[in-house]
Amino acid sequence: MLSLLALAVPLLMGVIALVVPWRRWIGWGSAFSSAGVLGLGVALCVTTSSHGPVSALHGMLRADALSSFMVVVIGTVSLLATLQTPRVMSQEIAAGTTNPRLASYYVVLMQAFITCMLTAVLAANLGVLWVAIEATTIATTFLVSHHRTKKAIEASWKYVILCSVGIALAFLGTVLVYFAALHAGVGTPRTASLNWTSLMAIAPHLNHGVMRLAITLLVLGYGTKVGLAPTHSWLADAHSQAPAPVSALMSGVLLTVAFYALLRFKAIADAALGPAFPRALFIIVGLLSLVVAAVLLIAQRDYKRMLAYSSVEHMGLLALGAAAGSSLAIAAVLLHMLGHGLTKSTLFISSGEIAHAEGTTEIAKVTALLARRPVLGAIFGCALLALLGFPPFSLFISEFTMARAEVNVGLWWVVASSLVCLSVIFVAMTNHARHLLLGGESSTAVPLSARSVVVPLVTALVACAFVGVSAWPLLTLLHAAAHVVAP
Amino acid sequence: MTHFGPPLGYAIIASILQVALIVLGGPLLMGLMAKVRARAEGRVGAPIHQPLRDLRKLMGKEGLRAHHSSVVLAVAPLIVLGSTALAVAISPLVTTHPLLSASADLFVIVYLLLTGSVTMALAGLDTGTAFGGMGSSRAITVGALAEPALLVAVIALSIQARTSNLPAIVADTINHPVWTSTPTRILALVALVIVVIAETGRLPVDNPNTHLELTMIHEAMTLEYAGSDLGLVTLGAAMRLGLLFALVMNLFVPWGVATGRSIPWLLAAVVFLALKTSLLAVVVSLIEVHSAKLRLFRVPELLAGGFVLAVLAVITQLATR
Amino acid sequence: MSTSFYVGALELTTGAVLVCAVMTLWRRQVRTIVTMLRFQGVALAAVAGVLAWHEHDVGLAITAAPVLAVKGALVPWLLHRVIRLDPRSRETAPLINVPASLVSSAFLIVVSYVVCSKLTALAPSAASRLVPIGVATVLVGYFMLVTRRRSVSQIVGLLLVDNGIALVTFLLTAGVPLIVELGATLDVLLVVVVLQVLVVNAGARHGSFDLDEMRELHD
Repeated sequence: MLSLLALAVPLLMGVIALVVPWRRWIGWGSAFSSAGVLGLGVALCVTTSSHGPVSALHGMLRADALSSFMVVVIGTVSLLATLQTPRVMSQEIAAGTTNPRLASYYVVLMQAFITCMLTAVLAANLGVLWVAIEATTIATTFLVSHHRTKKAIEASWKYVILCSVGIALAFLGTVLVYFAALHAGVGTPRTASLNWTSLMAIAPHLNHGVMRLAITLLVLGYGTKVGLAPTHSWLADAHSQAPAPVSALMSGVLLTVAFYALLRFKAIADAALGPAFPRALFIIVGLLSLVVAAVLLIAQRDYKRMLAYSSVEHMGLLALGAAAGSSLAIAAVLLHMLGHGLTKSTLFISSGEIAHAEGTTEIAKVTALLARRPVLGAIFGCALLALLGFPPFSLFISEFTMARAEVNVGLWWVVASSLVCLSVIFVAMTNHARHLLLGGESSTAVPLSARSVVVPLVTALVACAFVGVSAWPLLTLLHAAAHVVAP
Repeated sequence: MTHFGPPLGYAIIASILQVALIVLGGPLLMGLMAKVRARAEGRVGAPIHQPLRDLRKLMGKEGLRAHHSSVVLAVAPLIVLGSTALAVAISPLVTTHPLLSASADLFVIVYLLLTGSVTMALAGLDTGTAFGGMGSSRAITVGALAEPALLVAVIALSIQARTSNLPAIVADTINHPVWTSTPTRILALVALVIVVIAETGRLPVDNPNTHLELTMIHEAMTLEYAGSDLGLVTLGAAMRLGLLFALVMNLFVPWGVATGRSIPWLLAAVVFLALKTSLLAVVVSLIEVHSAKLRLFRVPELLAGGFVLAVLAVITQLATR
Repeated sequence: MSTSFYVGALELTTGAVLVCAVMTLWRRQVRTIVTMLRFQGVALAAVAGVLAWHEHDVGLAITAAPVLAVKGALVPWLLHRVIRLDPRSRETAPLINVPASLVSSAFLIVVSYVVCSKLTALAPSAASRLVPIGVATVLVGYFMLVTRRRSVSQIVGLLLVDNGIALVTFLLTAGVPLIVELGATLDVLLVVVVLQVLVVNAGARHGSFDLDEMRELHD
C-alpha cells in the first residue's frame, strides 16, 4: 500500500504539471511531491523493519529493507533537486533561454523520471526493473537537451544511443538468466519467473556456463547506465550539458539505482556461481573506472565535467565495495550511495548557481569564489571536501569501511591500487578547487545567494556530516538492507 | 563411389554426349540470351543459332598472330578448350555417373576452370598491348573475388551430402525431400548466380557487347585474336558459360538427371538439361536487361555480398543440422 | 503442424532476419536500408508466430502483434520522417568500406556461431540451435553503430541490436513474461520517437544534424 502511494504521488504531480500551464506553484508542488516520497520512504523503512518485506499490486511491487533504503535515497536527492525548480525556471524564463511550455515539460519529465526510478527499486520482477530503467533513459533525454543548444543535443544523442545499447545488453543478460531458470531442473519448466525471490530460491541449480555469460552481459549492460568504464563516455557530456538540478538528480541517484540493479543480480550470481567470478568482474570494472577517472581528472578544464568524472570514480568505488561482497561491505556501499547522493547533488546545484552567476563553466575563467561569493563558495568548498572523503562527512566512514571489508576478504592489492588512484584524484580536484575558490581580496559588496539555494544545500551538508559522525538512526536499516543481498 | 555403378561404356557414352551437348549448346545459349535481350528491347534480333554460324565463319579464316607474340598466344585457346572440355566431361550434367566421376570433386572442376582463366590472362599479356594487360588484370581480380564465394556456396550444399564430390551432391539432392534446408538452398543459389554472372562476364559485371575497350574485362584479353584462334577462344567462352549454367541448375534442380544405366533415360536427361539451362539463360538475360553495368570498383561490393550470402548458407546449414 | 514443416518455417524466418541485417550493411541508399528494417520486423513477428503456433503459446502469439505493428510499421515510418528532412539520401563514405564491412560481417557470423555453443548445449532443440543467428544480428548491429556516420544509420544499428536480442529471446525462452515483452517493444518505439524528435529539432534549429559535425564535446 505504501509502495503504491510512493509511486502514485510523483505520478499525480506529473499529470497535474502536464495539464495545468506553468506557474511557480507547480515548481513548489514538485518539491512537495518529493518530500512526500521521502516521508513515504521513511514509513516504508519502519514497516519493513517491523513486518518484513511487504508486497503490493498482486506481487508486482515488493519492498524489502534494501528497496526502502533506496526509496529514502531517491526521496532525499529528488527533494534537493526539485526545490530548485521554481527558482531555476524563473531565472531561465527571465533570461529568455526557455518558455513556460518547456518549463512545464521540464516538470513533467522530472516527475516521470522520479516515478520510473521508484518503480525500478520497488519492482519484484527483474524484467519490470529493466523496463523502468530503460524508461528513465527515455525520460531524461529531453531533460538533458533542455537548453536546446547544439552541444546539449549532441550530448543527449550520445546519451540515448550509448545507454540504449547498454540497456539492450542488460536485457540479453536478463533473458539468459530467465533461460537458465527455465532449465534449472527444479519444478517444471514454464513455472519459472523473473521474480527476484524465486530466482534466489533456485539460484544454486542454475547452469554455470549460461550464468557466467549472463552476469558478464549484465555488468557490461547495467554498467553502462552506472557509468562504469569502459562504457562511461556518455556521462561527462550528459551531466555537463543538462540543467544543474537534472545533473544533480542523475549523478546523485540515477547511477545508484542502476547499481542497485547490479546488486540484485550479483546476489543471484553469487548464489549460483560462488563469489569468485562475479567478484573478478566487479574488480575489473571498478579498478578500470578509478584509473580512467584519475587520468581524465588531471587535465580537466570544465568544472561540471570534473564533477561528472568524479561520479565515475565513486561508482568505481561502489563496484569495488560490492566485489568484496560481505555484509559489512554492502552496508558501507549503501551508506556511500546516500552520502554520494547528498554531496554530488549539492555540488551540481551550487555549480549551476556559479555558472549562472559567472556565465561560464570553464575552470580557468572562474576564480576567487570565496572572496566574491562567500556563501556559495563556502558551500561548494565544503561539499568538495566531503566528496574527497574528509571527516566528519559520511563519505570518509563509508570509504574506510569499504577498504576494511575488502582487506578482510583478502583484496589488499585492490585497496592499494584504489588508494593510489584516489590520491591522484585528490590532488587533481584540490588543484582545480584551489583555482576556483581562492585568490582575490574580499570585498564588502557581495551579491547574496537566494535562500532557496542556501538553505537546502547547507541542510544537506549538515545531514551528511551528522550521518558521518553517528550512523544512528541508519545503522539497523543499513545492516538489514545489506543482509538482503549479502547474508 | 558405389561399386555397382553403370559400366565404363555407359560412362564414356555419357561423357561424349555431355561434351557434344555443351559444344553445341554453349553458343546456342549465348544466342538465346541475345534473342531474349533483343525481344525485351523491342527488336527482332539475330536467330538463336547465329553464334554457331559466326563460329563456322571464324574457323574458316586464317588465324593471324602478332609479330612479337610467343607460343603462349598460340597455345592458350587450345588449353582453354581442353580444360573446359575435360571439366564438362567429368561434371554431372546428364548423368550422376560420368567418366572419372570419383575425381569430379568441386575443387578439381573449379581448378580446371581456373586453368582456363589464367591461361587466357597470360595470353592477354603476351602481345604487350595496353588493353590486353588491362583486361587480364581486371579478369584476374574478378576471378579472385568470385572464387571464395563459389567454393563456399557449393560447400554449403556439400555439408548435407557429406562429400564435395559433385556427382554425389547431385545424387544426394535427388534423394532428399525438397523443403529441407530451404534457406540454405536459397542463399547458396543467390550467391552462385552472382558468381556465375561474374565468371561468365555478363552484365552487371561486364558488358559482352561493348566496343569501348576501356570498359572491357574479358573482351580486352581477346582483342589480339583473329580468325580460327578467335573461333577457338569464343567457343571456349561459350562452353564455360554452358558448363556453369548447367552445373548451377543441376545442383539446385537436379530432377531429370539420369541416375541409372539406361540409354533412353540419358537422352531424356539431355532434353531436361537443355530446358533447365535455357530457363536459367532467360533469367540471367532478363537480369542483364534490367541492370546497368557496375563501375569497376563497385564489383568487389557485389562479390563480397555474394560471399557473405554463401557464408550465411554454410552457417544456416551448420546451425540446423 | 508437422515437425519438418515447423523446422523449415522457423529456419526460413530466422534466416530472413539475418539476411535483412546483412542487406543493411550492403546497400548505400538510406531508403533501402529502412525498407530492409521493415522486412526484418515482419520476419521477427513471423518467427514469434511460428513459435507460438508450434508451442500453442497464447502469450507469445499476443506479443507477435505489437512486434509487427511497432517494428514492421511504426518504426520504419518514423525513420522515413527523419530521412525526408535530410536531402542527402545515401550513406557516403562509411568508416569501413562496403566490401570490407561485408567480409567482417561474415567473420562476425562465424564468431557468433562459436560463442553460442554453450547456450545450445543446455537445451538442444530446433529453436535453440538457431540462436547464433540472433547473436549474429546483434553483432552486425554493433558493427553498423560503430562504422557509420549518418545519424539514421546509427539508429538503424541500434534497432538491429534490439531486433537481434528480441530474436534470441523468442528462440531461447519462447518469450519472457508478457508484460516484459510488451514493455521492451514499447521502449524500442519510444527510443525511436525520441531520436526522431532530436534529429528534427536539431535540424530545425541548427540547420543540419550530421554526426560528422558533432565534435564539440570531448576531453
